[in-house]
Order: sequence, then C-alpha cells, then structure tokens
Amino acid sequence: MKLRDIIDACGLEPVLVPDAEAEVSSAYTSDLLSDVVAHCTEKSVLITVQNHKNTVAVCTLVGAPAILIAHRREIPADMQEAAAREGVALLHTSDSQFAASCKVGSVLGIDPR
Amino acid sequence: MECGCRSKSDNNFVGVLPCFRKEIFLMTMAEVAEALKAEVLVEGEGYKKDVRHVVASDLMSDVLLLDEEDMLLLTSLAGDQVLRTAQIVGAAGVIVVNGKPLPSSMVYVADTLRMTLATCRLSKYEACIAVNAALHSKK
Amino acid sequence: MSAPAPSSVLLEPKSIAGSGVGNDPLVLLELIQRLKVRDVMTTELATVPRSAPLCDVQELMRRKKISGVPVEEDGRFFGLVSIDDIIRALGGGYINDPCSKHMTTKLVVLEDDMPISFALRYFNRYHYGRFPVLNRDRRLVGIICQRDINRVLLVELSKELNRLEMASGKSLDQDGVSELYLMREFTVCKYDFENAGKAANEIKRLLQDRQLPPKLIRRIAVAAYELEINLCVHSDGGMLSCQIAKGKAEVVARDAGPGIEDVEWACRDGTSTANEWIRSLGFGAGMGLVNVKRVADEFEVKSKKGSGTTVRAAFTVTGAA
Ligand SMILES: Nc1ncnc2c1ncn2[C@@H]1O[C@H](COP(=O)(O)OP(=O)(O)OP(=O)(O)O)[C@@H](O)[C@H]1O
Ligand SMILES: [Mg+2]
Repeated sequence: MKLRDIIDACGLEPVLVPDAEAEVSSAYTSDLLSDVVAHCTEKSVLITVQNHKNTVAVCTLVGAPAILIAHRREIPADMQEAAAREGVALLHTSDSQFAASCKVGSVLGIDPR
Repeated sequence: MECGCRSKSDNNFVGVLPCFRKEIFLMTMAEVAEALKAEVLVEGEGYKKDVRHVVASDLMSDVLLLDEEDMLLLTSLAGDQVLRTAQIVGAAGVIVVNGKPLPSSMVYVADTLRMTLATCRLSKYEACIAVNAALHSKK
Repeated sequence: MSAPAPSSVLLEPKSIAGSGVGNDPLVLLELIQRLKVRDVMTTELATVPRSAPLCDVQELMRRKKISGVPVEEDGRFFGLVSIDDIIRALGGGYINDPCSKHMTTKLVVLEDDMPISFALRYFNRYHYGRFPVLNRDRRLVGIICQRDINRVLLVELSKELNRLEMASGKSLDQDGVSELYLMREFTVCKYDFENAGKAANEIKRLLQDRQLPPKLIRRIAVAAYELEINLCVHSDGGMLSCQIAKGKAEVVARDAGPGIEDVEWACRDGTSTANEWIRSLGFGAGMGLVNVKRVADEFEVKSKKGSGTTVRAAFTVTGAA
C-alpha cells in the first residue's frame, strides 16, 4: 500500500511527506529506539511519541519510510530537519499510540494471529 | 471521543474504538491476557477488573498523562519502573510485549505492588490490534 | 507533647522516624552511596621507601600496631608489605633484604572517589584486611580497612538519627500536634533505577490509607513520581518529601546539584537534556515538569546552575478523612 493511501484512510496530518508514493506494508509501535532497531521491519510506519531527531536516524537505518507522531506531540525543528534530509515522512495524529495503531492496522489489514 | 475510520480497500466502517466509550462494558485483564495469549506472571488486584483504557507507551511521563484509572499498559519496556508507574496511575495491569525476558526483580515488584503482570509474544502494534479485535468480537 | 489530639489527625511518630529510618536499609544505602572512600580512609600513613630493609618494616608494624605497610616514595606507590611477607622473611632468613625485593606488588587498590558501597563489595570479594587508596593521578593517598568504614557509618547514622529527631521535634512545636497530618521524607540516589519510583509508590499508599479522595491522591502521586524520577535521573541525588498539614499537601524535591541552567526552558513541554540511555529506560520525554504543573495547584521551581534545585508542588486538600 502507498503511504498516501494510509494518510487518507486514517485521516493523518502530513507534516512533511517527501514521497507519498513510498510503499508501506506494516507498522510498528514503539517509543524505544533500541527496540525499533531490533524489531521494526522495512517499509513500516513507526507509530510513536518519541519526537526526537534520533528517531529519524533509526527509521533510516531500518528502512521505515514514515513516522507517525501520536498525541500530536510537537515535532522539534531539528527532527524536522533530519527528516527532510533523510527523506522520512513525518505525520501527526491527535490519537494515542493505541488508537493510531488500531486505525493503521485496520487499513493495512493485518491479522496479528 | 470516538474515533472511526474508513478503510479504502473494502469501504467498511472499521472502528469505533470501544475503549474510548466509558459506558460500554469492556474486558477484564484476565480476558485481555487470554486474547493476547499472554503469559500471566502475577495476578494482581486488577486482574479481574474491567480494563477501561489501553495505553500503549514506553515513556513513563506519557503514561502519567492520561487521567483515568484501570488502564491496560502495553509496553515494550521491561523494568521495575513500568510497574511503579502503573501503580501511580492505578492501572489494571501491565503487559510487556515482544516476548521480552523480564528481569527477575519485576515479578517481585509486581507482587509487592499487587500489580497484574504478563508478557506476550506479539509486538505492541499487533497487541493493540488484537486487543481491539477482541473488544469488538466480545461486543 | 500537648493535650491528646483526635486520633485521626495524630502525627504519626512512626512516619517521621520513617523518614528513612523506618526503612532503615534506605538510610544505610544512601550513606554508603554518598560517602566516598576518601571520607573513611586513614590518611596518616606509615610508609617506607623501597630501600628500607624488611626488619625496619617489622619494627614499624610493631610500634604502630599495624599489619600492612605501603611502600611509597613521594606519593608514588610501589607495593605493600604485609605481616605475611615478614613472617616469610623471618622463615627464609632474608629479613635484612630491602623490602622492594619481597613486597607484594600485585595489589587490588581502590580510588578515593569511589563510594564506600564499592569498597564494601571489594572487602567481600577479596578477603584482604585493607586496601591502599590511590587518587586520580595514581598517587597513594590513604589506606582503608573495614573497621574504618564501620566507625564512620556509625557516626553518620547517629547524626542522621539526631537530624530526624530534631526535624520531628520542630514540626511538633511549630504546627502543634493536631495540625500536621502526615510528613514523610525519602532519599533518592542518582541513577538508582532499581528504587526509582519507590518513594512515590509509598506516598500513594500512605495517602490511600488515609482515605483522601482518589483523584487527589493520584495527582499527588503523579507529582511525587515525576519529581522523584527527576532526582534520580538529573540530580546528584536528593530528598523527596511529602507533607500534609492545614488543608494543604506539599511535595518537595530538593537536591544540591547540578542545577538547571534555564528553568523556563526546562518547564516547557518536550524539552529535555536526557541522553539516549535515559530514553531507553522510558524517561526523558521532557514531559515530567509539565505533568507536575498540570496536576498541582501551586508549582514552583527554584534552581541555579552549579547549585541545587528545589521543586515544590502544592495541592489543596479537601474532604480529607
Ligand atoms: N532536579 C533536577 N536537577 C537538574 N536538572 C533537572 C532537574 N529536574 C529537571 N531538570 C532538567 O529539566 C529538564 C526537564 O525535566 P522534565 O521532568 O520536564 O523532563 P525529563 O525529566 O527530561 O523527561 P520526562 O520527565 O518526560 O521523563 C530535564 O531534562 C533536566 O534537564
Ligand atoms: Mg522528568
């Protein structure tokens, strides 16, 4: 599925979307960067409240094309700069990580079991 | 505070997340644990209580933000601080995701705080979806 | 003590003594973390140069009633002559040799700015009676034996006890028995993540015992937790106290360093100086002080870079049991 489709279907607010056509196949919810490095798969949307520039670096590392910041937590300037540089999309939602995960999950249609 | 969304693929209305509606009957910690195939390590005070909210977070200050009792805390953080935070907000229980091995102190701390503690193999993302699905199927 | 007060508002002597002493291990733990090897070690050293014959060392031991003598020249540490070395020298007939030839050089040493908890672990691990203490520049500055630690700990403990008794006495005089409802104080050590949050957990439990309104308990507990974690994460260690008197609850976190450079910045949502390690432990979102401010009726931060920080969160107590 294209990133654009998820943004539309879940009503996410694009903050910075370098490539709306980026392929997304899954999502990963975490606020621990070490955990993201260890478990997040390629082409995942990272759902988090960890609004730190290192989050961008970690996404680049694992090949995650987008970061969805829950609770509409303010995105600091250095994080936006890093995302622009690395070509990682930044999205906002007022939902919690839980609600956002459920929504993204229902759109991506993954049966966890 | 309802949140619904439309799935593009099948155009079905997907989710009014019931956990945001306080009046609906929800699941107990015991039922949630079963739905997630979680291994329950400590059956605390909240084990038989209804879970009224789900918080999926690894940042303790973020957990303290929600002003509600009886939450289920889904976290990938395996440490005593998770239980201590859960006690502060009066959580119904804590489920550590990703099948993380827990430090041995955690069971002891959960026991002293009488906090329900479980682990499950799902990722947090998968666990969120599974909890939500279980809530829907129960209704 | 004045006339008997209604039991529901009686000051609990136990709570006050409990300012750590009720949880006696806490005071001890804090002490052995706070006190450094340099605070306990003996600095008046009887040392010998490398050229000193072993018989001189034996004589020195006898005179000073000590069982080990460091070999040192101008602060440079070469080794240690122990009673065992002397006995062996007597048996082997080389008691007149210079000590550099037979001293023990493979030595376990301690550094002067290690906490004594560290020293205690060493005493447990290696069964030596004493350890030479070196400073950063690897110069010999003292010697430490287990007895030194015991002596200083006893002194410090009795000081702590006095202080706590004074504190309880004072609050009795100031507020009168019936006014002070609850007062408790906890020590929070730097980076002690094993115990971080314990004090807030305990405060919440105490408030529940007193059947304060649940919403209020939760607000106080959230503030106490955030401030306790800040002491653990950002300060060099400090005290967290919770007091309820005269219809007001107060949570105060006090530390002696390193202080906050820009308080206004620190109190903003999302601003933090935490590093990756702290974030991997689930802290450092920069939301803590915002949380405290949100739940408290009064909120105040006093801090100066280089000195300490005091954060006070106050709550109006209504409907207390
Ligand atoms: N006791 C203290 N001593 C020194 N600095 C402090 C102290 N308390 C807070 N600070 C400074 O204020 C900043 C903001 O604190 P705050 O509690 O709001 O966020 P945090 O502790 O960094 O993250 P969180 O509380 O979300 O885990 C800290 O990052 C730190 O720099
Ligand atoms: Mg904090």
